[in-house]
Amino acid sequence: MPDPNHIALLQINGSSPVYLRPLEGDIFMELLLECWDVLVIAILRGGLYALMAVGLSLVFGVMNIPNFAHGELYMFGAYTAYFAYTVFHIGPIPSILAAGILAFVLGMILEKGVFYPLRKRSKRQWVMNTFLVTLGMSIILQNLAKLSWGSTYHGITQYWQGRVRWLSSIAISMDRVVGFLIAVAVITTFFFFMKKTQTGRAIRAVSQDETGASLVGIDLNFIHTLTFALSAMLAGIAGACLLSINPAYPTMGLNPLYKSWFVAILVGMGNVGASIIGGLIVGLLETITYFYFGGGWQDVISLSIIILILLFKPRGLFGVKGVKTALE
Amino acid sequence: MQIEIDQSRNNSRIWTTWLSAIGIKPLGLGLLVVFALLPAFLKDEFILRLLISALMFGGLAMAFDFTSGFINIVNFGFAAFWGVGAYTSGLLVVKLGWSPWLAMPAGAVMSGILGFGLGLLTIRLGGIFAACMTWFVALAMMSAAGNWVELTNGHSGMTVPLFFDTLKNWPYFYVVLFMVLGIYILLTCIIKSHVGMAFRAIGQDTEAAASSGVDAVKYKVMNFTISCTIAGLYGGFYSHFIGILTPLVMHTSHTVELLAIAYIGGRGTIWGPLVSAMIMVPVMEFLKDLMEFRLIMYGALMIIVMIYYPKGFVGLWETAKAYIRNKRKSLTMA
Repeated sequence: MPDPNHIALLQINGSSPVYLRPLEGDIFMELLLECWDVLVIAILRGGLYALMAVGLSLVFGVMNIPNFAHGELYMFGAYTAYFAYTVFHIGPIPSILAAGILAFVLGMILEKGVFYPLRKRSKRQWVMNTFLVTLGMSIILQNLAKLSWGSTYHGITQYWQGRVRWLSSIAISMDRVVGFLIAVAVITTFFFFMKKTQTGRAIRAVSQDETGASLVGIDLNFIHTLTFALSAMLAGIAGACLLSINPAYPTMGLNPLYKSWFVAILVGMGNVGASIIGGLIVGLLETITYFYFGGGWQDVISLSIIILILLFKPRGLFGVKGVKTALE
Repeated sequence: MQIEIDQSRNNSRIWTTWLSAIGIKPLGLGLLVVFALLPAFLKDEFILRLLISALMFGGLAMAFDFTSGFINIVNFGFAAFWGVGAYTSGLLVVKLGWSPWLAMPAGAVMSGILGFGLGLLTIRLGGIFAACMTWFVALAMMSAAGNWVELTNGHSGMTVPLFFDTLKNWPYFYVVLFMVLGIYILLTCIIKSHVGMAFRAIGQDTEAAASSGVDAVKYKVMNFTISCTIAGLYGGFYSHFIGILTPLVMHTSHTVELLAIAYIGGRGTIWGPLVSAMIMVPVMEFLKDLMEFRLIMYGALMIIVMIYYPKGFVGLWETAKAYIRNKRKSLTMA
C-alpha cells in the first residue's frame, strides 16, 4: 500500500524527488496508486515475456516447430552476457548486443545441424518429431552448460545504477526499466524488419504458404535458418537483459520456457503480433497474483486463468481460422 | 504312443496360444522366470533397488507409450499424474491412517479422475495443444503441491511410511514385478481387443477413423484415463517405496525421462518401453561417473533415434529377427 506521505512523482537515481501533495485518507487515491504500481510492474515484466514469446511464435509460425529448447537459448544469452560483462569488461549495452549476436550464431548452427537434416529426411509427423528433437536439444544444451561452467549461479549485481520511482512508493531498479526499454526497442526494430524489408516479407510469405513462397523464388533453407537464428537472438537478448535479476545457471531455461509457452498458447500459436499483447497479459496476471496471493501461487493462478480462457477459445485469444494453430 | 505325444503337443500349444494371447511369448516367459528367481541369487541390495526402479520406470513408460504411441498424444504432464497418485496415497496413510495397500489403489483412482477430467477438457483437441495443456496442468499441480504447505508440507517434503518394515528389498521387488506383469497383461489385452484397434485408428488418422464410425473423443478419453490411472498406481508404489515425497516428483524432467525411454524403446508397442527401461535405467546408473556426458549422450541418443531410427529397440529386434529368418531361409533353400 503506498504510503501517503511519500508519493514521489518521479525520482531517478536517488535524486531529490518531486513530491505529490498527498491527499490524506483518500481511499480512491490509494487504490489508484496501487493499481498503478501493479500496472507498472506488470508492463516491465510483460515486456520481457513478450520478447521471448515473439521468438517462439515466429519459429512456430514459419517453420512449424514447437521449440522446447527456447529456454536454453535464453540461458545461452545470459551466460554470454555474464562472460562479456565480467571477463571482457565491455559495457552493459555491448554485452547484451554480444549475447544477441552469439545467440544468433548458435541458432544458425542448431538449425543447419539439426532441423535441416530432419527436413530432408521426412516431413511425416513433423510437429511431434521436432518437438521431441528440441527436447533432446534442450537436454544437451543444459548439460553442456553444466559441463562447461558448472552448476553455480553466475550473476552480476547490476548493469546500471540506481532506482526509479514513478508515482509510487515502490522503487524499481534501473536494470528492469532499461531492460524493458531494450525489449521495446528490439521488438520495434523486429517489426520494422518484418513489415518493411524484403527479407522480412519473405519470412512472412514462408509462414503463409511454403510452396507459394518457393514458387516466387524465395530460398526456403535460407529463410528457415534466418528465422531460427532470429528467434534465438531474441531469446538471447532477453536472457542478457535480465542477467542482474536472474543469475545464469544451467537449468534457468525452464521458467522462461513455460512462460513463453503460456503466452504463445494464450494468443494462438504462430501469431507473432499478438504475442506482445499476450506477454503483457501474462505479466499482468502474474503481477496481480503476486500482489494479492503471494509469490508461490503465481503459476497456479495464472495457469488456471489461462486454462479457463482456453476452454472457451481453444484457438487462443487472437487465434485466426486458417492460420497454423496449435490444433494441427 | 503317437496319440499321447500329439496330445501333449496340443496341450502345450493351447498353453502357448493362450499365453501369447495375453502377450507373453516364450522369450518373455523365460525372462519372467529369470526375474522371479532373481532375488534368491542377487544379494546386492543396491542392484536389487536399481532393478526395482527400472521395473517401475518400465511400467510408467508402458503407460506413457499407451497414450503417445497409440493415440499419438504426448502426455507432457505425465509426471504430475504420477505425483498425484504418490501424494494421494501418502496423504491417505499419513493423515487418515489408511493402510498403504489400500492407499495405493486410491492414489490410482485419484489420478484417474484427474486424467478423466483433463481428458474431457483438452484431449479431444489433440496435437501440440493437448501436449501443452497437460504440461501446464502439471506445472500448476507442482506449484500447488509446493505451496499448499498445510497439506503437503511444501517443498520440504513429506515422509511416508513404507509398505514393509523390513530393510530388505526383495518384497518390494516382487510387488513391483507383479504390478508390471499385471499392467503388461492388462494393456496387451486392451490393445488386442477392438478398443486397441480403435486407438490405433485414431492415432493414425483421426478423421478417417471418425468417418468409419469410431467415436474419437470417447476412445481418446478412455485411453488417457487408463494411462493416468496406471501412473497413479505406480505413484502410490513410489511413495511407499522411497518414503519421501517432494513436489519435484512432478517436475517436467521426469516426464522427459519417461518420454525418452518410451521413444527409444519404440512407439506403439507395449514391450518396447519396458525393455528400454530395463536397459536404460541401469546403464544410466552405471555411467554416472561420466556425469554430464551421460545426459548429453542421452539427449543425443534421443535426437538420433528420432531422426534416423524412429522404431527404436522394437525396430532393432524386428530387423534382427527378419535377418535371422532370411538367413534360415537361404540356408534351407540351398
